[in-house]
Amino acid sequence: MPDLQFQATVNGRKVARSAKPHQRLLDFLRDDLQLTGNKEGCGAGECGTCSVFVDGVLMKSCLMPVAKAQGAQIETIEALARTGELSVLQKAFYKAGASQCGYCIPGMVMAATAAIRANPFAGREEIKERLGGNICRCTGYQKIFDAVEMARDVQNGKLPASALSEIEAEQGDFIGRNVRRIDAPSKVSGALKYAGDMTMPHMLHVQVLRSPHAHARIVSIDTSAAEKLEGVEGVISSADVPGEDGFGVFVNDQPIMARGKVRYVGEAIAAVAAEDALTAMRAVEKIKVVYEQLPAIFDPDDAMHDGVPVLHDYAPDNVTKHIPIRVGDVEKGFAESDLVLEETYATQAIEHAYLEPEAGLAYVDPDGVVTVVSPSQNITHHRHMLARIIAKPIAKVRFIMSPVGGGFGGKEDMIYQGMLALLAMKTRRPVRLVFTREESIISTAKRHPSRTTLRMGLMRDGRIRALEMKMISDGGAYGLSTEGVMRKAAILAAGPYVIPNVKIDTIGVYTNNTPSGAFRSFGALQTEFATESMLDVAAERLGLDPFEIRRVNAMRDGATTHTKQKLGSVSLMRALDAAEKASAWEKGAPNSRGGNRNDLNRDDVRPPVSLGARFETADKQEAAE
Amino acid sequence: MLTCDEYLTPRTLDEAFAAMATHRGRYRVVAGATDTLPWARQGRAGDVNIPVLIDVSKIPEMNERGANDRRVRLGAAMPFQRFLDDANLGRAMPCMPRCAVWFADDQIRAQATIGGNIINASPAADGTPCLIAHDASVELAVARGGKISRRKVALDKFILGPSKTALEDGELLIAIECDALPGYGGSFEKVGHRRSLVISLVCLAVLVKLDAAGKKFEDVRLAIAGIGPVPQRLTQVEKFLRGTPIDAERLAQAADMPVELVASRTRQDYRRDVVRGFMMRGLINAARRAGADAQALTGELEAAYA
Ligand SMILES: Cc1cc2nc3c(=O)[nH]c(=O)nc-3n(C[C@H](O)[C@H](O)[C@H](O)COP(=O)(O)OP(=O)(O)OC[C@H]3O[C@@H](n4cnc5c(N)ncnc54)[C@H](O)[C@@H]3O)c2cc1C
Ligand code: FES
Ligand code: FES
Repeated sequence: MPDLQFQATVNGRKVARSAKPHQRLLDFLRDDLQLTGNKEGCGAGECGTCSVFVDGVLMKSCLMPVAKAQGAQIETIEALARTGELSVLQKAFYKAGASQCGYCIPGMVMAATAAIRANPFAGREEIKERLGGNICRCTGYQKIFDAVEMARDVQNGKLPASALSEIEAEQGDFIGRNVRRIDAPSKVSGALKYAGDMTMPHMLHVQVLRSPHAHARIVSIDTSAAEKLEGVEGVISSADVPGEDGFGVFVNDQPIMARGKVRYVGEAIAAVAAEDALTAMRAVEKIKVVYEQLPAIFDPDDAMHDGVPVLHDYAPDNVTKHIPIRVGDVEKGFAESDLVLEETYATQAIEHAYLEPEAGLAYVDPDGVVTVVSPSQNITHHRHMLARIIAKPIAKVRFIMSPVGGGFGGKEDMIYQGMLALLAMKTRRPVRLVFTREESIISTAKRHPSRTTLRMGLMRDGRIRALEMKMISDGGAYGLSTEGVMRKAAILAAGPYVIPNVKIDTIGVYTNNTPSGAFRSFGALQTEFATESMLDVAAERLGLDPFEIRRVNAMRDGATTHTKQKLGSVSLMRALDAAEKASAWEKGAPNSRGGNRNDLNRDDVRPPVSLGARFETADKQEAAE
Repeated sequence: MLTCDEYLTPRTLDEAFAAMATHRGRYRVVAGATDTLPWARQGRAGDVNIPVLIDVSKIPEMNERGANDRRVRLGAAMPFQRFLDDANLGRAMPCMPRCAVWFADDQIRAQATIGGNIINASPAADGTPCLIAHDASVELAVARGGKISRRKVALDKFILGPSKTALEDGELLIAIECDALPGYGGSFEKVGHRRSLVISLVCLAVLVKLDAAGKKFEDVRLAIAGIGPVPQRLTQVEKFLRGTPIDAERLAQAADMPVELVASRTRQDYRRDVVRGFMMRGLINAARRAGADAQALTGELEAAYA
């Protein structure tokens, strides 16, 4: 297999090296040149974290075989602040607060640089379109667009350069002010190292064998062929766990790797550490697993019937957690109501899609301390669980939290750190695992899908007399955060409203689907989606304005919640006022004004699905000339 | 993940055919590689090893492009971005720049080739409807006994179905030739889940030539994709409009005509609604860009479908 003799100019320096013929430009830059500022968020052209300039043209380096860049001038994010001073755009990103987790930011800065180079006068719409190939999951984009506009104006002399400089800390007064993020320069420059960017001397690469079945008994695992492969330094399965296997946020029902049976597609079964990722991948293909398929269950309602497959012995009814709340007497409340509504609501599984796929590095330090570096959102808890699992005293287990490239709750679970620890212990070498996007989606927690039946009784003036809700949630194959999510869902189900009679049941159920877990809002989304939707239905039925019906029911300062929490202050009324104003809501019942609003042709409102702002700029310029 | 043992970048057609002969049965051609790389990932083809990849994007003949008032010739390895960079091409193919802004994003567009888009033969490929509306044909070449022979096939005959074309083993797509349509107004309507990086659920290419007064359709060319296995030319509608004045009612009738063609595997009702709306919007946009008379194309009509 002849290697390529690759030559190029990278960030102003000549590079001549051999490269593997299948390498992508991104691999070459990150792995061979250690230019890790640009990231691999998806590997499929969808996210833009890998955007680099090739002969002055911005390209997605994950889609470019390295041979295509033969002889080219390549600039990565590291090129922009080569002198040590941030570029105008980087300064503007810093100033505008346009970076949060920062994982998208190097690519975003590159795309912004390309946009302003292509049209130094681009308007906001054109900027949006030109940045269309880059995804950010944290910022909501507005601050990014603000930053690009700011940089454009500084560059064009419309704003003074001082607009980008630091503001003095205002006498220690931070509340209500825009405070700069101190970590932003490291993010806009690409200098910050996420776990997948870190390397250690002598490091091995890990790949994981995952289950193709939703529910199956593991009859046998044969790793002998994998172990024989040259370059393979260690193979592990559940048999290698020295301590008490099992992790979770509330119940420790999940083994580090499948033990005896698999419960969802994508569950880890074995892992390999090898000299390079490709060898580890080839070794994974050589692991032979014999399965005996078991009937699987995919619907949480079905899972609660008698005689269906049971996922975990400790929960014969497949119920992970049931949270009941009772206040007053709902039947009496419904009897007193002028209007009783009943509806069912459903929400789907949602992937967090943080831009940083899971990654981690582990090693055993000279004192025998097993150390795991990963973007874990819960390192202290992980540390305690891991100590028990690998049968070490807590002082011999260390967790280091690497910068989290977005988590949103999805990185709370110790889904892969255990495998890393075991492989570091087995091989006595540093090991690193970097998930692909597909692996991240297939194997990690999702937002709980839910099915909610809701009954609401109201008086003619909009006051809610009674609310009865039952939410069934698909918790998937393992418990993870289900218990907490059910609790929060129940606590917040009736919303910030004064309701005398409340009956709530939230039930998390085991199925053979991908496990559900923490996701920002943590259960509130599912139940409040039902309650808030129902309030809009009620507003329609009662001919009330949707803001008014909420005001009528709003908890005020000093209120006691349905779970007996006393609230010192309640900001709901202010929030409603602000939302009403910001949305330019036309007063009236939701159904009082027909299907359409007629402001779609306003200058600041773009008609749906259009593109081509750059043509309009061009037309305007032509007209001006 | 895509792996290969060799990655070859021939500099001439002869070199390319020689490599294809040497590695017969073990190679795959790539141009921009923007379809090939994502294809070899988990959930699609998975991990794929192709012993030899032959990259044809550096062959000069496949990068040529030229347009005069009558004809356009595009090398197969030309990236879509050229439709935005090259004003001469934009004049000869008035809906292509509009198509190009919708194509992937500013970055992939610089790498994704027009030939790759045709050969990949996705029912939702964005480039193909415009080309079909230009009566495009493809020029194919094959080397036999050391001699390169060429043939031409009309593009709408060349695409046979999803991922299926009439390309034969050992053949390369060299160039695309089509009518130049300067003076036409062009529009390209597309919808997907978002604006960038999105596969068309429906896309429509519209080319319109008006009489000197800007009141009558002299020529109309329409092609649509995403509603069935292959892109199609809407000849019936073209005939129905050709030679008629711009008129709201007639436009509405025309817009209804292709609705019955929707034969996609999913979301048929939605697509029917979209087709009707796109026909109106596409014809109006193209007519406006062709210099339609303000009285013929009332502001009301424009506003309703902008
Ligand atoms: C994120 C993303 C977004 C995308 N967005 C769009 C979009 O909006 N609209 C759209 O239509 N497509 C889109 N695509 C698909 C893709 O970019 C296009 O289809 C592109 O035109 C393919 O061209 P290529 O040269 O990159 O393909 P390649 O992968 O190089 O080739 C594709 C196929 O064509 C064959 N081939 C290429 N050139 C020749 C030749 N000269 N002779 C013979 N065979 C040849 C190859 O063997 C291969 O089978 C997108 C892709 C990605 C990854
Ligand atoms: S676009 Fe290249 S990694 Fe996502
Ligand atoms: S800051 Fe953009 S993805 Fe986190």
